Amino acid sequence: MDDLIIQLILPLVILQLILIVVALVDLRRVDETRGPKWVWILIIIFGNLAGPIIYFIVGRKG
Amino acid sequence: MQWQTIYKKEMLDHWRHFKWIWVPIVFILFAVMDPLTAYFMPIILESAGNVPEGATIDIPNPSVGEAMIMSFSQLNMLGVLIAVVISMGLISRELSTGVYELILSKPVRYSHYITAKFTAMMTLLSVSIIIALITGWYYVTVLFGDLAFTQLLTSAIFYIFYFMLILSIVMVFNSFLTSPGLVAFLSIFTVVVLNAITSIFDHVITWSPMLISDYIGTYFFSGEIETDLYFSTGIAIIISLLLLWLSIFLLKRQEMH
Repeated sequence: MDDLIIQLILPLVILQLILIVVALVDLRRVDETRGPKWVWILIIIFGNLAGPIIYFIVGRKG
Repeated sequence: MQWQTIYKKEMLDHWRHFKWIWVPIVFILFAVMDPLTAYFMPIILESAGNVPEGATIDIPNPSVGEAMIMSFSQLNMLGVLIAVVISMGLISRELSTGVYELILSKPVRYSHYITAKFTAMMTLLSVSIIIALITGWYYVTVLFGDLAFTQLLTSAIFYIFYFMLILSIVMVFNSFLTSPGLVAFLSIFTVVVLNAITSIFDHVITWSPMLISDYIGTYFFSGEIETDLYFSTGIAIIISLLLLWLSIFLLKRQEMH
């Protein structure tokens, strides 16, 4: 049972981490965001699944 | 400028904005979430500990078909929402920032401009949907039992045409509005209205494209594709093409003013 949980949940955790890392890389790369950058860092890291999504949709300019 | 040039430029843009990474990942998480929570619900409730002594909770375990439908219905709501917001600025943002004039100062045909953008976005969405549904299918088969892979793949292909319709609705609003937010709002509003109309008159308009996911659900139970699924998908394709033609027309007209 525990094995099954780890086998199924672990890939999702990894995907979520990739999402966070990609959002942070993008945040570092862009010149401007809507609103201060440090707020976006908090949103991306602590915003759960919604955090990076909201950043990609609303955060980046242009 | 050729059609392929615009298509390649769009694909490059999607890469630059990391859409090729985050959209598939988000779709996968959507597709997997519900079947997973449904499976672990008894354990979650047990460990939550608020159950009074001696009470037994009997939640019927969903069947394979039901679990697979959960993946689809999650994409039906959140997936559509994501699809709309990532394409809301496809043309409208270029209209408002002036990039559009820059592109059209070169010999570009309106039809090429629209269809190339549409196809590029459709490529991204189709790949994301297929990857997400295959992952969802894998989780469902591990947790709930066997489901034929060909059945899943067939349903996924039908399902892509539903997204094609959604995207062509977004394209129409894109072609005459300059505010991406307004485009997203009106597109979602249109989808909600179409859904409402369909659910009120679902005995009369059995060919409504909004019923595609419902018919896919029955396909999982019966194992046979109903003719209604072909009809509603056919209608989805026809309406999409008409809407694309309409958005080319609207964009042309806007240029003349």
